Amino acid sequence: METKEERQGLNFYFFFCQRIDKEQEKNRRTIEKSMGDKVRLFPIPCSGRIEPIHILRALEKGADKVYVLTCREGLCRYREGNLRAKKRVSYAQKLMEEIGLEKERVELINLKKENGMTIDTLVEDLVGKKTNIGSSPLNKPLL
Amino acid sequence: MITAERKPFEEIKEMVKPYSKLLVVGCGTCVAECAAGGEKEVALLASALRMEARMENRVVEIDEMTLDRQCVYEFIDQLTETVDNYDAILSLGCGAGVQAVSDVFPDMTVLPALNTTFLGETKAPGVWMENCRGCGDCKLHIFGAICPVARCAKGLFNGPCGGSKDKRCEVHPDTPCAWHMIIERLEKKGRLEQLNNIYPPVDWSTGQGKGPRKIEREDQMI
Amino acid sequence: MKRESNLKKVLSAGHFAVTAECGPPKGADEGPIKKKGGMLKGYVDSVNVTDNQTGVVRLSSLAACVILKEEGIDPVLQMVTRDRNRIALQSDILGASALGIRNILCLSGDHQSFGNQKGAKGVFDIDSIQLIHTVKTMRDEGKIIGGEALTAPPQLFIGAAENPFADPFSYRVLRLGKKIRAGAEFIQTQCIYDIPRFKEWIGMVRDEGMDQKVYILGGITPLKSAKMAEYMNGHVAGITIPEGIIDRMKKVPPKDQREEGIKIAIETIEALKEMKGIHGVHIMAIEWEEIVPQIVEKANLYPRPSL
Repeated sequence: METKEERQGLNFYFFFCQRIDKEQEKNRRTIEKSMGDKVRLFPIPCSGRIEPIHILRALEKGADKVYVLTCREGLCRYREGNLRAKKRVSYAQKLMEEIGLEKERVELINLKKENGMTIDTLVEDLVGKKTNIGSSPLNKPLL
Repeated sequence: MITAERKPFEEIKEMVKPYSKLLVVGCGTCVAECAAGGEKEVALLASALRMEARMENRVVEIDEMTLDRQCVYEFIDQLTETVDNYDAILSLGCGAGVQAVSDVFPDMTVLPALNTTFLGETKAPGVWMENCRGCGDCKLHIFGAICPVARCAKGLFNGPCGGSKDKRCEVHPDTPCAWHMIIERLEKKGRLEQLNNIYPPVDWSTGQGKGPRKIEREDQMI
Repeated sequence: MKRESNLKKVLSAGHFAVTAECGPPKGADEGPIKKKGGMLKGYVDSVNVTDNQTGVVRLSSLAACVILKEEGIDPVLQMVTRDRNRIALQSDILGASALGIRNILCLSGDHQSFGNQKGAKGVFDIDSIQLIHTVKTMRDEGKIIGGEALTAPPQLFIGAAENPFADPFSYRVLRLGKKIRAGAEFIQTQCIYDIPRFKEWIGMVRDEGMDQKVYILGGITPLKSAKMAEYMNGHVAGITIPEGIIDRMKKVPPKDQREEGIKIAIETIEALKEMKGIHGVHIMAIEWEEIVPQIVEKANLYPRPSL
């Protein structure tokens, strides 16, 4: 189990459907300002636009944990967007496992009613949550 | 279109291990259509290889480039300026592409990242079917535009074998029996009698019977 | 030396023919073939030798046929197009005839992916109908594929297989017609368990007058157990066993299931004997050859005619 300190050292990347928060533009800036470098936020018009390469690039650039946040299943404005996102995430996980990277480093979250629906609170909650994965092997110094 | 699939990562990893400067080269034509070797797949494989090397504490330089076509000299020539910066090229072209690149740069090591599979049709998003064997003597007009060479597991010319059941092939239960389809289609068109003739042994020399094939067209040559 | 096919003699004399099947061993020993031959001798008119059936490597059909012939049995050489191209097939046809084999059964063969050499390249240079026609042209015109003349033609009684239970059902009879036109003189069918469907098929065959042009031998495989029935129904390509038969096997305690299987086989033979257009039976007792004499006797088909 990681300590709070370790958790605080982790880098998070968030890809999120911008429809989950009408005020995402403003709220995103707020959280980026308060959390600084440890979070990177990428609004996408629909979670269905996520590609496995986005996830791989995020990991390559130093993400310890990548979240893909989508609307609830069945509630995608473009009908299948979040279902596609699910398939893309699992394909990315397959590629990650091939190179020996834990698939838990990427996680898709279908938001539920009880989740806060502003991006800043969502990020805050998820960053504060235990992840159990620790720092990415890609962020360890070269021997 | 020519279809292909990426080789298992383990195999690619072993192949590229001796090289520290690698150029991953895609092809924007057939293998891009079947999502095996286009720009996206180049990006994914290159990223995966970089991360894998990083985790194993190896310092490598892996760059990416995708040609419109990897089997035509004019496009391959785009590599000429940069090719000397690398120890090897990892090609995501079909077998013809890999060989074409290697022919243009005979001193360069060109490695295949894909297994080239067949001539196919995109049946639905994410589904590709082998429909043609390139036998060199098309007979589709006789068989209701369904090829018994490519689509019957036994390549039969005179009707279905005894294993066809519920319209399925005995070899792959999820493959439709080609002969069942041929018969149904011709029956619908009232042309079943077309199959009454005994189709004689095929002349396979138009296929691979005379070794590798070559097409030469005087009118196309410069 | 110019011995004639016993099977042909029996059929052309109008007798109800009986043939059986012998699977060669998975080894270089002639013992099992001689043993199976010895069990069958006198009870059947001819013995088919399978050609690497289900794509499993076994002693060659041609060699086993020669061994059976030396034991005084009239062998039927099964030949599949899966493993050999037209050069090898025609060569073996000539060789078989020279060795005194007088019957051939032309098949396309089970796909190699079912066997123990799954990586093998399936040849299928020609198909079974083309093979039938090739044998006929070699025999009757003394010519090989392409028209070149033979110094001496092979002497072979030509057979083919037919599966009345495969799909598309309506096409099966047309395909039989094609086999007859290609040169098939006798037909051995897939094993019969569904008598109503078989009756429907033979009715269609008779309607086309095909039973006048070819000898048809109905296939019989005695069931050893309810398990075997269920397995064959689900897993063996081209075989259908009706629920009624499977249930009948299941109702009998396991120790008596063999007896029940024999009973079903004999009942089927009796039904076939009554069917117009059926000229005999082909008993395929898979690895149970020793049961054939009992079935032949109980079906009142013993003794066999000596011609």
